[in-house]
Order: sequence, then C-alpha cells, then structure tokens
Amino acid sequence: MHTCDLDIEINKLSKIEGHADLDIKIRQGKVEDVTLKVMENVRFFNEAVKGKPFVSVPQLVSRICGTCSIAHMTACIEAVEKTLGIVPSPQTMILRKLTMYSLMIRDHALHLYFFTLPDLFGLDSILDLPEDKKELIHEALHIKEAGNNLSQLVAGRAVHATFEQVGGFSNQVDKAKIPALVAKLEKVRPSVLKLIDTFYNCEWELKRKTNFVAIVTPDYSFLEGQIKSTGGAVIEEKDYWDHLHNVVLPYSQASGFEFEGKDYMVGALARLNLNQENLHPNTKKDAAKYLAAFPSDNIYHNNLAQAIEILHSIDHSIELLKSTDFQKENPVPPARQSGEGVGVIEAPRGTLYYWMAIDDGKIRYLNLVIPTAQNLINLRDDIRKIVVDICGGECPEFELEEKIRREAEKIIRAYDPCMSCASHFLRVNLTR
Amino acid sequence: MAEPNKKRVGVFSLTCDEGCSIFLTEIFNHKLVPWLEKIELVYFLSVKDQTEIANLDVALVEGVVTSARDKEEIEKIRANTKILIAMGSCAITAQPSGQRNTFTEEQKENIEEHLAIYNFLPKALSLKEAVKVDDEIPGCPISEDLFVKTFEKYL
Repeated sequence: MHTCDLDIEINKLSKIEGHADLDIKIRQGKVEDVTLKVMENVRFFNEAVKGKPFVSVPQLVSRICGTCSIAHMTACIEAVEKTLGIVPSPQTMILRKLTMYSLMIRDHALHLYFFTLPDLFGLDSILDLPEDKKELIHEALHIKEAGNNLSQLVAGRAVHATFEQVGGFSNQVDKAKIPALVAKLEKVRPSVLKLIDTFYNCEWELKRKTNFVAIVTPDYSFLEGQIKSTGGAVIEEKDYWDHLHNVVLPYSQASGFEFEGKDYMVGALARLNLNQENLHPNTKKDAAKYLAAFPSDNIYHNNLAQAIEILHSIDHSIELLKSTDFQKENPVPPARQSGEGVGVIEAPRGTLYYWMAIDDGKIRYLNLVIPTAQNLINLRDDIRKIVVDICGGECPEFELEEKIRREAEKIIRAYDPCMSCASHFLRVNLTR
Repeated sequence: MAEPNKKRVGVFSLTCDEGCSIFLTEIFNHKLVPWLEKIELVYFLSVKDQTEIANLDVALVEGVVTSARDKEEIEKIRANTKILIAMGSCAITAQPSGQRNTFTEEQKENIEEHLAIYNFLPKALSLKEAVKVDDEIPGCPISEDLFVKTFEKYL
C-alpha cells in the first residue's frame, strides 16, 4: 500500500488516431484523477463535407482514417443510401461483406501481431523476435497479405478502396482470380488457429463489469442488424443516437460517450459476447474450445475475440467466394435527392455511426460517432482501476512509475484504439 | 544495437490519416523480409516504440504541416536525415489533409477558434513549403510500384 503523492504525465500517448496524453494524479496513495486527453490535430471533416455532392463524400470520409478507411467508406455509403432511398442489390451486399472481411483480416492481424504480440514476449518490436520465433513474422505477413489480396480483388485496394460506391461496386470481380485467393485464405487458416491459441493461453486479466454494445448481425458480417447490449437493450440502427450521451472531455480535441447513462465498450469483445451464435459454422467447429471463454468480462479477451474474428472472416469469405457467380451490375440510382438518414456498421474497433442530411444532392450535415470515442470513458475507468490496484499493491516505490506506464500501455493496446497509432511510445513524466 | 552496413530508415506521420504508412505495412507483406537485409528500421511507431530521431539515412514522411508542433517535428527530422522523402499526396501537395486551406470564408470562421486554441499555422503546408525535400512518392495512398522504385534508389 502506497501513501505517496504522484503526478504522472504521459505525453504522446499516441494510441488512438493522432495524439493523446494521459495525466494521473495520486495523493496519499489514492488516485484522485485520470484524464485522457485526445490531442489529435483536427482536420475539420464536419466542415469539409458541407455542400459536397453525395457521390464524392464516401471517398472524402475514407480519408478520416487510413487504418479503417473501408469502414468509414462503407458506413457513409449506407447512410447516403438510407437517406436517398437506394436499396443495394444482393450481390452488392455480398461484395460489401467481403470488403469488410478483408479489412478485419488485415486490421486485426496488424494489431495482434505487430502491436500486442511484442508485449507477450516482453519485446519492443516483432522484428526483435528470437530466431526460433521468427516464423511468427512470416505468418503475420501472410495473413495480412491474404486480407490485402481480398481487398484488391473485391474493392480495388486496401486503403481508400476504389470500387466501392453509392449504389453498388464499379468493377466486376475478376472470377479467374478467385481460386488462387481461396487457396491463399485456406493456407493461412492454421496460422490463425495458432494465433487464437496464443491469445487463449495469455494470462492477462482485467475484469470490470461494463456494458457491451454491438450490432448483432445474422451472419456476423458487420453490416446490418439490431444494436444490442449485454444489459438487455435492443435498438434499431437508426435510433442509436437517442441512446447515447455525449460527454465533453476537458482539454481534449475529442469527446466521449455514454450509452443509456453508463460507460460501455464496443469492439470485437462486445461482438463476440453478443453474437457468438452467428459465427461461421467452420469457425464454431474449429474454435469451439476457445469460444467457451465467451461471454467474458476480461477486457484482454478483446485480443482473443479479434483473433477469432479473423478466422470467421476467412471462413465466410471462402464460402461467399466459392458460392457466388459474380455478374456485372449497374449502380442503383437514388429515389430522391434530399432527406436524412443513418448508416451504422461494425468497424474493426466497434460500432460506427453516420447521420447525414442531404439537400438537392449536396451534404447539409454530417454527424459521426466513432468507436474509439465510445470506448474512451470505459478505457479511462479501466486505467484508473489498474492504477488503484498497483497503488494498493506491493510494488516497490522505485518501480511504481515504470509499472504504471507498462500496464497503462497494455490495457490501451487491448482496446486497439487505432491501428497506426497503437504502438506509439508512452513517455512518462513523473513529478513528486 | 547499430548495424553499420545497413541504412537507417525512419517512417514519420505528421497530421493525416496515416493511410500511406498503413499501406506501407501492406507493401511490407512481401518486401519487409528482403529489405531488412539492407535497412535498419529505427523509427516506425507502428512497429516499434523507439522515438529517438538521430542519424537517419532515409526519412519517409507522410502528412501535412498544420500546427506549430508539426513544424518543429519536420524541422527536427530534416536536421537528422540525409534523405527526406515526401510520401503521399498530403506531404507533396498539402491535400487532402490540409482541406481547411480550401474552405470558404464562412467555413474558416467556424474553425477559427479551434485553430487559435491548438496553435495551428495560418494554413496547412506541404513538406516542401516547410523544409527541403529530396524526393517524392505520389498517391493517396502511395502507389506500390512508385514506392518500391523510389525507396530502393536510396538503399
């Protein structure tokens, strides 16, 4: 039990899109304040979209985040379509599922192998793995490549995809390339099972009762369904905003959210807690042992959940690629040029919400709720719990700063706030 | 641990969506292993924690210079690298991440307060508007072929 006063200032906590700082204030060994400050340089997308023709906006919002550009593009397209009365064809929905799966495979693999795995081995970087573990680098690159190849075939490319548009896809799938892609997906499957096993055996634990929220899709495809919570809420996608409460975080260039008045968590762990039954049959069969861990209150199981989602994304993609006879289709035109609508999907890091208004084909208004923003309060409270536990424990005082820094980094990484930033350096400034 | 025969390479993100460096990790899928024979990746926050910027042979920089903090960082990178390569459309042209440069007067008024509070520059700059740039790799994100061709010139 510690009784010291500490002001810990963690600068450049760049584990969410852009930059963030974390300040921890400890008085008499008690945690008085944990402040998570998002310091990202804003690029003013809410202003930039105003007056832009609706057809150009999915490509514009894709630039919000290079990491999950496909998620922003897809949610935006869905919002435009709901606003203008466009009903996409069944083939378009299949292509969108494949596009989302390609994102999940690449994005989760990068997070788990490049950002999280080094922590498991106590290393700075995956590049520092010892010789007898070096095959993990190759496995990581092959899994990512399988996802990248799927992005290329279906959506044009992995970042700022070129084929995905309002009303449909602009390019017909090159069917000649499907067999090689299916073979590649099947080839990396054993590596994914090994990854799942690795995170299943990881003993990190942080349990704290919270509410998990996700869209429950009938085929676990991240696109359409009802929003549900482990607290029992069942909500239509269009009504999601009514259940959210925007919380201003002081000194921050971002704000947090509460769901029905309480903190909550979105992302892979939420999805698996709420929607395990709709995973692909092959995933359920081969991951049965690991799926028994869910529902789970252990935040670190977000890593395990992501690994299982890679397997599901591979399994359902293989089925869709083998069973679909892809045809050339023209985009579905809008039924009207003005209106208001909502698009909600499951991005890699959780529920992504777009609410827009269009007047005469031009954007009048756009409001977004981003997964990382929804997790900020829950994350802050988890960091607080970790610091309280460390201060109440037996850690020698000279190691306190280092331990708080390391454990804060670990829990932040488990939330996967944003891939490109997720292994940024945490500098701890300790003043007593 | 310094590796004397290898080029010291850093990958840096200023203000942007980091799409180019994400795309670079996709190029890595088949290029990382051979490149590691020739380079030491000394700075790339997606891969490692180290943040010391010193004695670089090649710096790959994405994003725009939008704030005083960005300007300090690009000057520091320039002072510590032999070759500085602007990676992607933002770094080369200041767009799209510098989209505030194209705003109407009314839009500019709406963001004025934010710019002042967070120490933004009057306008977002491309890299060459801030420092000397040695080479460029266009695209949004970067094109794989152009990246490989340009990068390998310096290895």
